[in-house]
Amino acid sequence: MLGTRSSRSVSKDSPSFRFELNRSWWLPLGVIAGLIIFFSVTSSAFATVRNLTIISAQASTLLIVCIGATFVVLMGSIDLSVGAIVLLVGAICVEVENATGIGAAIILLGALLGGLLGLVNGVIYAYGAVPSFVVTLGSLSIFNGLGLQMLQGRAITFESNALDTVAIAEWLPPMQNIALCAILVWIAGVLIAQHTRFGRYMYLIGGGENVARNSGIPVRRYKVYAFILSGLIAGFGGVLAVARLGAAGPTLGQDLLLNSLAAIVVGGTSLSGGTGGPARTLLGVLIIAILDNGLNLLGVSSYPQLVIKGTVVIAAVLISRSHISGLLIK
Amino acid sequence: MPEIGMPLLKISNVTKHFGPTIVLDRVTFEIPANKVIGLVGENGAGKSTLLNILSGELRQDAGKMWLRGQHYQPSNYHEACQVGVGRAFQEQALILNVPVYENLLLGQESKFLRAGLVLDRKAMLAAAKQMVHAAGIDIDVNRLTRYYDFSNRQAIEVIRACLGPVFLSKAEHPLVLLDEPTSALAKEHELAFFGLVDQVKRKGAVVFVSHRISEVLDICDLIYVLKDGQLVATVESAETNEAELHSLMVGRARASDYYHETQQDKAQQNPVLLEVKSLHAPPAYTDVSLTVRAGEILGIGGLLGSGKSALAKGIMGLEPSHSGTVRFCQHEARKPEIRRSIRQGIAYVPAERMTEGLIGQFPLAWNISMASGHDLFSNALGRWFLRKEDAVAAHHIEALSIKSGTPRVVCDRLSGGNQQKVVLSRWLCRSPKLFVFDNPTRGVDVGAKEEIYRLVRSLTRNGMGVLLITDELLELIGLSHRIIIMRSGRVAAEVPAPAEAKPSEHDLLALMLPSSNPTNQHAGH
Repeated sequence: MLGTRSSRSVSKDSPSFRFELNRSWWLPLGVIAGLIIFFSVTSSAFATVRNLTIISAQASTLLIVCIGATFVVLMGSIDLSVGAIVLLVGAICVEVENATGIGAAIILLGALLGGLLGLVNGVIYAYGAVPSFVVTLGSLSIFNGLGLQMLQGRAITFESNALDTVAIAEWLPPMQNIALCAILVWIAGVLIAQHTRFGRYMYLIGGGENVARNSGIPVRRYKVYAFILSGLIAGFGGVLAVARLGAAGPTLGQDLLLNSLAAIVVGGTSLSGGTGGPARTLLGVLIIAILDNGLNLLGVSSYPQLVIKGTVVIAAVLISRSHISGLLIK
Repeated sequence: MPEIGMPLLKISNVTKHFGPTIVLDRVTFEIPANKVIGLVGENGAGKSTLLNILSGELRQDAGKMWLRGQHYQPSNYHEACQVGVGRAFQEQALILNVPVYENLLLGQESKFLRAGLVLDRKAMLAAAKQMVHAAGIDIDVNRLTRYYDFSNRQAIEVIRACLGPVFLSKAEHPLVLLDEPTSALAKEHELAFFGLVDQVKRKGAVVFVSHRISEVLDICDLIYVLKDGQLVATVESAETNEAELHSLMVGRARASDYYHETQQDKAQQNPVLLEVKSLHAPPAYTDVSLTVRAGEILGIGGLLGSGKSALAKGIMGLEPSHSGTVRFCQHEARKPEIRRSIRQGIAYVPAERMTEGLIGQFPLAWNISMASGHDLFSNALGRWFLRKEDAVAAHHIEALSIKSGTPRVVCDRLSGGNQQKVVLSRWLCRSPKLFVFDNPTRGVDVGAKEEIYRLVRSLTRNGMGVLLITDELLELIGLSHRIIIMRSGRVAAEVPAPAEAKPSEHDLLALMLPSSNPTNQHAGH
């Protein structure tokens, strides 16, 4: 059977491995352009500075959370628990902040806490040999339950000038600082993916776990690292989300489960691992965020919005796949 | 009813390439009705490919086939089944989590549909019971398949292949293809097996592929010998013997130039590089001890399932071994562990290039740097050296003349030989002291093969040691200084192979074949 199942290649020269605009980038970029044009024409409120500020702030939590989860998907696994980590970390941090008033240091605590939750996921997945889908499905429920238990169904508010500064002040107007944080996280993610050993190993494990193991790469350890990073960034995102909203409520992080996976996949990171990366996740996040915002402005109620979003996700993946197979035939 | 004298199956000029390699070269033969045909040849002679074409798993590049006088070109196994062709696969094709009867009727469920929708379980059970009964093997068709051991499952597979065509496809003249059906069959089933073959033979014909030549001689009426994809001989079982068949299968002139035998230095005095002591991982291999000296090529030969590939993984520390140690250079003797092995300077080239050796969707440079991420291509902070990676890749592309290669080209676009050079480069950039090769030239074209041999020779002349595991006898003989023959997971013999007195293929084959007791041959599956 030699040579019969060889080609999975996408384009001639290393596709999507560097931050360069090759053909597979045009599709998501085109979708973004199309959405912007469509909503600008149909809604006068869309293309305003005020609205762009809102979109960027709304998209920030999603982008931050997605960067960590992208590494997990890149490695061929899945992390369903990021939304739940946001909720649990958010709830704990609000309580701690109200009890101690430690200010911006809470961000560090949140990230560490998230990293710890990710470590739990990763160890069970890598050393217990349980599929990541199952592990994070379970921990999604556990983290959610713990978070909701703490909140008791209420939204808990807090006061902290330091956190306000980090989240909603505008150092680069009209952009809120949380958007600035998100962009920094994105840049860090892109650099990690392309310029570090960790990033490279994520690609290698996702592309061919057996080959990676035969080459002496400590596959299990790096799987744990990926989940730690995913949890760490989700925890960071959780604190920032709470800081932006000024409170932690039961709905915190609820839409992140669907939105994070949708953004990662629409951006072009394949669920089978090995292709894509954080750079492209930005595009997916923009698509989801613009869609959400634009449909809101048009007055589409939230139930049809879900239908539209789901359709866009499936369509985007379908189109990009036929786009890829088109390349293969040539 | 076919006319008297019309062959059940006829194939003419069937040819198949995999990439640049020709696997079947204008094979033409007839399979007469009421006969058992043996198909023999070395590994890679094209037997399995031929069966794959006959059963619709593969399509030939050229050539025609006729079944019972009708043009025959199945596009998958299901279509082949419909016209009365059955096959037992070398790797068992059974689903373990369903009852035996479902496996026996696999792919034939549509014949048991009531009103086109509901499966008639009763009828299925009845049919399955009938098959097992006809086979004379005591198997409960209601039990889950996984409760039966490998040998019983092999029996199930054989029953399905032999009786499916008659019982399910209602073929009057079935053609049954058996690929190594007896390799795992227990003694008590062998009688039943012969009975089955006899049943099929009365109605149709059987094509029987096996490495056990003595068995082929017992069962078959007519034997076809394949060598390098060509049909080289047709002999009547009654008029031949094991020795003659073996010489027909191998019998190629070994060009000593090809393996650079004149450059084979003596290595008996060199220091020991690798010392494996009582490495033990039953059932794959048991109590294996060996040494490799600097500048020496130690060959390991053996039939499929002799445990030689598993041994390579055990020595590297890729698969855990039960007990035993490996000592490399001055390091202490320990239970092997892959990452330590690599750090100490051992390189490993696996047999399955596309699944274990190379990630085809990634660029050449990535595949080359893969084993050196922890030292050569990143610093303590984890920063990856992209420029150095490209430079090292470019250097090896040039040094090994990897055709159409640039550091950024994805490996899927390279030919087999060039892909193998990429795998070699991955290790060469670490300047290893020992190479462990598992079939280093499998699926590699002749030109690249020659280059790999030359490279291996020049590396050993510079003091590198090589552990060479290969199915290709000529390669084994031509390259090795010494040869170890494995049989059923044990070291069966050690044969010196100095340049001036190489052993012959027949000598080695005789050592590889199970001598008297065939039941303990299947360790290592």
